[in-house]
Amino acid sequence: MVLSTVIISRGGQESLRLARERLGADVVVVPRGAVTGVEGALLLGNATNSYMPRGVVGSIQAVPGVAIASPQLYLTSMANSSCCSVSLMFMYAFDPATDFTVEPWLKEKLGHDLAIGQAVGGSDVFVPEGDDKIKLYGYDFDLVGNLEPTGTNLDQTLFMTFPTAYEMQEISQTEAKMGLPVLLDSVSSVMVKANPNADRDEVARAISEAIPEVQAVPAAELFGSYGDQISGVLRTLVVIVVLTVALSLALMAVVFWMSVHDRSRQIGVLRALGATQRVVLLAYMTEAALLALAGGLVGAILAAVAMYLFHDLLVSALGFTIMLPSLVSLIGLIIVGLLIALAVAAAAALVPALRASRQEPAVSMRE
Amino acid sequence: MTAVSLRGIGKAYGGDGARTFAALRDVDLDGEVHDFLVITGRSGCGKTTLLNIATGLATPTSGIVTVGGVDIWSISDAERSSLRNRTMGFVFQFPSLIPGLTLEQNVMLPLEFSHEEHVDARERARDLLDMVGLGERLAALPRELSAGQQQRVVIARALINRPTLLLADEPSSDLDEQTEAEIMEIFRRIHAEQALTVMMVTHTRKLVAFGTRHLEMADGTVREVAASEGSSDPA
Repeated sequence: MVLSTVIISRGGQESLRLARERLGADVVVVPRGAVTGVEGALLLGNATNSYMPRGVVGSIQAVPGVAIASPQLYLTSMANSSCCSVSLMFMYAFDPATDFTVEPWLKEKLGHDLAIGQAVGGSDVFVPEGDDKIKLYGYDFDLVGNLEPTGTNLDQTLFMTFPTAYEMQEISQTEAKMGLPVLLDSVSSVMVKANPNADRDEVARAISEAIPEVQAVPAAELFGSYGDQISGVLRTLVVIVVLTVALSLALMAVVFWMSVHDRSRQIGVLRALGATQRVVLLAYMTEAALLALAGGLVGAILAAVAMYLFHDLLVSALGFTIMLPSLVSLIGLIIVGLLIALAVAAAAALVPALRASRQEPAVSMRE
Repeated sequence: MTAVSLRGIGKAYGGDGARTFAALRDVDLDGEVHDFLVITGRSGCGKTTLLNIATGLATPTSGIVTVGGVDIWSISDAERSSLRNRTMGFVFQFPSLIPGLTLEQNVMLPLEFSHEEHVDARERARDLLDMVGLGERLAALPRELSAGQQQRVVIARALINRPTLLLADEPSSDLDEQTEAEIMEIFRRIHAEQALTVMMVTHTRKLVAFGTRHLEMADGTVREVAASEGSSDPA
């Protein structure tokens, strides 16, 4: 329970942080009233039909404090695509001339920009076995690389340039069962890099004031509703964890009291044979520790396996993405979980163990 | 030479006031080396309490207990445990083997609580189990034995630390007559062959014959019964 709570809360926060980091923007500009929609598109791959005219990019660029304004276009999510290890795939077009989200990675790893027909995938995107290209809406993509995982929808996103997106939209009209809408003069969002000495909140406010049809959000506030959602879930989980730990403590204390009572005569015999009070105390505490370690380990492994197996289910149920911990972090969390289990078991066993060890042996044998 | 000595021992239950019950009243008793004391008395007359106080398993309300010259209630609990471990062997009325341990492990158990190394522990455990006729059952668990066989293992366990004082609390009360005779024969043999003091409490009058001294308990007091006198114990 403790482990699951930590994985959910830390994983949720970490996934938001990585998503913000991956976007790399100081301010994100979206059509007015479409913040939640764009957040949902970026984090969960939810379809968004909110667009703004591409002309706003120039207006944003003209706002004082703006260093770079880079447009992005989010295309309809595609369900059950064969090229993706997950059920939903998202497509995202960027402008290589201004982009600072994917472009730096391209320059570092590939050493060149994406040509028309080429795409970069999130960590979960792959070319189907037996094919050499990814086919979407009747259009063939060359997958030239994969980004590092973020635990968000960006992992199942196909990144392409605007010309490639336009070409796919055009071909989809004749080649796909259902063509993509042609959005030649539209963008979904504009990522803004502020000047180094500019106040990001001020820049966001200035953009929102200068261009009425858009809404500018400082990156630190992006996914704020999801952050609130995570905090809400976390609060509930903490209450459940506290109640569970308290209940476990009470139950274990009862079990240890019963164990001491049931083995009272045996304790008396051991004391008669020469066992000191310390030996009896240590025996009980060691037993409690071994039980806690065994139970804690089984619980932690089950929780970890469940988190990995039911990750997608959990994400859709909770409504936010969860970045699963690395193996090293997971081992660290399991160790912390075991320490908590040890502490609970020690607290539950201490009083019965003290009573067992301090009781007069003759009384122990009589009970 | 005195192996165990009780002076002015009193034991009261129930605290102060009218509801106080005196289990022992001003008991004086000396057990000499190589004595075989048989203490008889009705159920509830204080026999087990006397044995527990003599071994440091129960605290007297008053009086002094010395074992091997050491006042056992003037030393710490750890020292008292060590003294019990080094000098005393116990045979209880109830089944007292540890269920999860083999016979050999049960017999060696007291050595686990000693701070000394016992290189010959296993060999000694086997010899003792041989002595009580269970040398072939080293790896058996207590539940595989009859009550009489279990009591033999307990006797072997009581001797593993070469005690100077062997204490038995109704050791044959749960056994049939034949098994009781076998157990008492083992006690007789141990007493004859080893320089130890045996202190046995029983409500069975016929066991008095196995002892060298007979003590009778009634109303929390102890009285030595002379050999010529016989016993007034109606039990």
